[in-house]
Amino acid sequence: MDTVADQTERLGKLEGMGCSRKRREDPRFIQGKGNYVDDIKMPGMLFGVMVRSPYAHARIKKIDTSKAKAHPGVYAVLTAEDLKPLKLHWMPTLAGDVQAVLADEKVSFQNQEVAFVVAEDRYVAADAAELVEVEYEPLPVVIDPFKALAPDAPVIRDDLQGKDTGSHGARKHHNHIFNWEVGDRDKTERVFADAEVTVKQDMLYPRVHPCPLETCGCVASFDKIRGDLTVYITSQAPHVVRTVVGLLSTIPESKIRIISPDIGGGFGNKVGVYPGYVAAIVASIVLGRPVKWIESRQENLTTTAFARDYHMTGELAADKDGRIKALRVKVIADHGAFDACADPTKYPAGLFHVCTGSYDIPNAFVSVDGVYTNKFPGGVAYRCSFRVTEAVYLVERMIDTLALKLGIDRAEIRKRNFIRKDQFPYATPLGLEYDSGDYAPALDKVLAAMDYQGLLAEQAKKRADPDSPTLMGIGICTFTEIVGAGPSKNCDILGIGMFDSCEIRVHPDGSAIARMGTITQGQGHQTTYAQIIATETGIPASMIHTEEGDTATAPYGLGTYGSRSTPVAGAAVANASRKIREKARQIAAHLLEVAPDDLEFDLDQFRVKGVPGKAKSMKEIAWAAYNNVPPGMEHGLEAVDYYDPPNFTFPFGAYMCVLDIDRHTGETQVRRFYALDDCGTRINPMIIEGQIHGGLTEGFAVAMGQQMPYDDEGNVMGSTLMDYFVPTSMETPKWETDFTVTPSPHHPIGAKGVAESPHVGSIPCFTSAVVDAFSHLGVTHMNMPHSSYRVWQQCQALGIAN
Amino acid sequence: MKVELEKSHALAVPADIAWRVLQNIESVASCMPGATITERVDDANYKGTVTVRVGPATVSFKGDIEVKDIDANKRELRLVGKGSDTSGQSGASMDLLAWVQEGDAAHCQLVGRSEVTVTGKVANFGGRMMGTVSDQILKQFFDNFSALVAASAAQQGGVAAAEETVVRPAHELNALSLFWAIVKDFFRKLFSPNKAG
Amino acid sequence: MSQTVKVTFKLNDRPVEVLVEPRELLIHTLREKLAHTGPHIGCETSHCGACTVDMNGASLKSCTILTVQCEGADILTIEGIAKNGELHALQEGFMQEHGLQCGFCTPGMITRAYRLLQEIPDPTEEEIRYWMAGNLCRCTGYQNIVKSIQYAARKLRGEPVETSHPLMGEKAAQSEMAG
Repeated sequence: MDTVADQTERLGKLEGMGCSRKRREDPRFIQGKGNYVDDIKMPGMLFGVMVRSPYAHARIKKIDTSKAKAHPGVYAVLTAEDLKPLKLHWMPTLAGDVQAVLADEKVSFQNQEVAFVVAEDRYVAADAAELVEVEYEPLPVVIDPFKALAPDAPVIRDDLQGKDTGSHGARKHHNHIFNWEVGDRDKTERVFADAEVTVKQDMLYPRVHPCPLETCGCVASFDKIRGDLTVYITSQAPHVVRTVVGLLSTIPESKIRIISPDIGGGFGNKVGVYPGYVAAIVASIVLGRPVKWIESRQENLTTTAFARDYHMTGELAADKDGRIKALRVKVIADHGAFDACADPTKYPAGLFHVCTGSYDIPNAFVSVDGVYTNKFPGGVAYRCSFRVTEAVYLVERMIDTLALKLGIDRAEIRKRNFIRKDQFPYATPLGLEYDSGDYAPALDKVLAAMDYQGLLAEQAKKRADPDSPTLMGIGICTFTEIVGAGPSKNCDILGIGMFDSCEIRVHPDGSAIARMGTITQGQGHQTTYAQIIATETGIPASMIHTEEGDTATAPYGLGTYGSRSTPVAGAAVANASRKIREKARQIAAHLLEVAPDDLEFDLDQFRVKGVPGKAKSMKEIAWAAYNNVPPGMEHGLEAVDYYDPPNFTFPFGAYMCVLDIDRHTGETQVRRFYALDDCGTRINPMIIEGQIHGGLTEGFAVAMGQQMPYDDEGNVMGSTLMDYFVPTSMETPKWETDFTVTPSPHHPIGAKGVAESPHVGSIPCFTSAVVDAFSHLGVTHMNMPHSSYRVWQQCQALGIAN
Repeated sequence: MKVELEKSHALAVPADIAWRVLQNIESVASCMPGATITERVDDANYKGTVTVRVGPATVSFKGDIEVKDIDANKRELRLVGKGSDTSGQSGASMDLLAWVQEGDAAHCQLVGRSEVTVTGKVANFGGRMMGTVSDQILKQFFDNFSALVAASAAQQGGVAAAEETVVRPAHELNALSLFWAIVKDFFRKLFSPNKAG
Repeated sequence: MSQTVKVTFKLNDRPVEVLVEPRELLIHTLREKLAHTGPHIGCETSHCGACTVDMNGASLKSCTILTVQCEGADILTIEGIAKNGELHALQEGFMQEHGLQCGFCTPGMITRAYRLLQEIPDPTEEEIRYWMAGNLCRCTGYQNIVKSIQYAARKLRGEPVETSHPLMGEKAAQSEMAG
């Protein structure tokens, strides 16, 4: 009974944590049977199209909808005037600001929503949208956040005029949103004043867009007779959408059902609530028919949720040996025309204060100013936790800069400054407490795997050869991520704590259904949550059905973004499973007529300690839960858990990149990229590797080509996939992955979350490598994107291209 | 986005005749490929349309033209046009300064300096073609204007009469010839030695 | 614009007849009129390849063609890749090698890879990457997509492959019983 082979077989059948279980969501996708929002078709469904502003800043003099309304097949044309009586022409953003649903007298960014045309199909709606005549009076445009703060800068938000406080405190200027400061300013100043060495670097983290392959959209269906509203929506946070819709519409949340069907990638783009959703909902309520709204790619890239756009200045104070004494950071954050960041309420700059990185920096001070410009709103976490990519980029660039100034090897200077293993839990000068880490062995493993010394020797040889057609760059990044938002003591969105949830019901036959407050967008939750439950309850993963995304059935949760599913909902899954297991123990004790303490849990059964063969399997226990429970116990076997994490989790990694730059064309070839990630306990290695490949590729995209540029008139110049870089199979490098395991001490299963680390960590690694290729020529920093053209410009400037 | 252009064109007529033609806004507009004056509000204000057709797509701009300044001494004219396309997806404005430079008794030079600003879809999609497209439009304008001026000189009967005899330019940009010109221009630029990168 | 045209073509080996406006794109006809929602719409500039179908033996981005141009054509979509209830080797490969995440690009990817393996049964990795460059994926970084296609190529050539997805097991078991 207890042979090794038997154990192995039972373990195999369980498919619990740690195995590369194949994904349960795949069969529908590979057969074209996914159910994405645009696949949904309802009887009587109409189609809505937005009329958008060609101007980045203009007063609306007149909107004439008569021709559009007269067009055959058109059911409604909504403008702000129509929404005013319902008080729906403005809506709250997740950041405590308001945003116009349909432009109210003026537009403040190009492609802003002006009118919503509802017609019998998408062709008719598009025709009618062109018949809506809008008269604009163009106003001066400001797209540079520094110019936006000039005393005579155009007023972007007329609705906020005279308000000198916003939802994050005092506003210093009519285009100013907030100032957020953290750390000890005075002490940091003193350390800088006395420092042996200081370095300073300005850097721009350009505006980029998450660009999931599926754009945003929804189908809103209001049942006039029942008075309930169902919305199928591409949302990473369906429960939050329900609350927002409830607040806006005054329909009780019990009458609102939000369903996130299959989602074609989110990457932060699908967290917010967008005007199109609200317009479709209103149209459905008014018309009593289902209304579908699906973004075009151009609408997606130019209106729903950009990321980054941080103008940062970093400074380090250190001693001559490269030991960092202080970090000082000043940021001008361009939030566009409305502050629609998806940050926890208390953190207008998100978790940017993780910017002391993996280093033991005793003093730090950060100041962030949010600014309005005539650009589209957003500021979302594009495959990262809130503003963590920016923070990690900053500190990694700064430590490289310091290494260059002092002539210390970049790996060596990192080792000198790493937080040591025995310092965890580690309190940072900016108020975070890192849970666990072991940085030096991770870096050493990468240096050995890549033969760092060999690479340096090769590089030295190339640098010495004036005829070398290529420049060789080596990039290093040793990042610490912060994910799993978050503890409700300091994290909430619209006042709702950022917990997450799980509900498990075990059926009489021993199979189970589990529902979570999160929603998968490709992460494979259906597969991995079942693995956690399998290990914790002994129910084989194949017998567990998981369900997410339907607010009518799932317990309330804050959704999936910021790598929070595993650290938060994953913990709820583990805890709910443990509640089931404890009840199962009671039942097993009753069945075996022993005390609960005499039992031990063994993979898929409870057995009596020291009595071989005397055991009850989970299957038997599940059956008994419905007919033979101990006296006084309620029937059934189910549990709910709402998990409020005591802290964030802090995954980390060490990355190295080698690339070769053709100095005559600027073409950059990534030769090798080695990514070592430590995400704590590993639930499914196959899925982890897939997530890392994806994150690295998105990091590659951002570092090497993505940017949402604007011209002076506020035209978005990267509005289609013709102009916005998404790497293909041809330019994407091959990735090498590795790992160490440092579990989180406060998480029930020790898992930390992984999907975003590769994005956060790879971007500074690419910049590090590109700058390194030029560092012997005096270059200390280059702004992204490192496209061939821009790299070639650098070669030109240095006079090394022919 | 903004495109600034300055072009000059030799005309085989005395400066006075060219200047006379230039002051007649309706005639000048008729030389603009695809342009029509639809309404004369007063001496200085006009309403008009410009239709540009490239392939299957037609963009029709509707807007106002204002004569900002006519300086007979300098033979100089300043026009400001503003409009948006009829589908409301693009906006455009133009600030044009045109003047006639005296040559010899039988020749003069028409010089135009314009700043064209476009917003919306035209800028989003057509941004990188803007310079070339404007260039081609101006070339066609100069050709038409030369013909009008030449006819006007021959007739001596005033601009209106001249207009009757000149083959009126098509009220739509000639898509094929415009396209061909853009392609030629593109290749010329590609192979020109001073092209960076 | 209300004038409609009757178009007939073969869709996954079955004749279909649709009434469309001359301006209607094939992707919309497939998705809205013929209930084939496997091919997706990801852009409107023919860059992403999510709408890829196979027409008359060539890959085609179905957002770039009008339905009226498809008269008499032979069209294959993701829905027609599995035959007789048995998954195609590519479908197996994508599951086995974790070649998909959100799944939005997958129908286009598999349909494109199907054409690749028809033309080149034994492609090198470079050939695979070149052939797949018209299909964007935001999730996987392509590495596992390449492996998925290599898996299918091996299987179609009759070489042994490891299959560990239970669905594949069931299908194999079914076909064993049938055989």
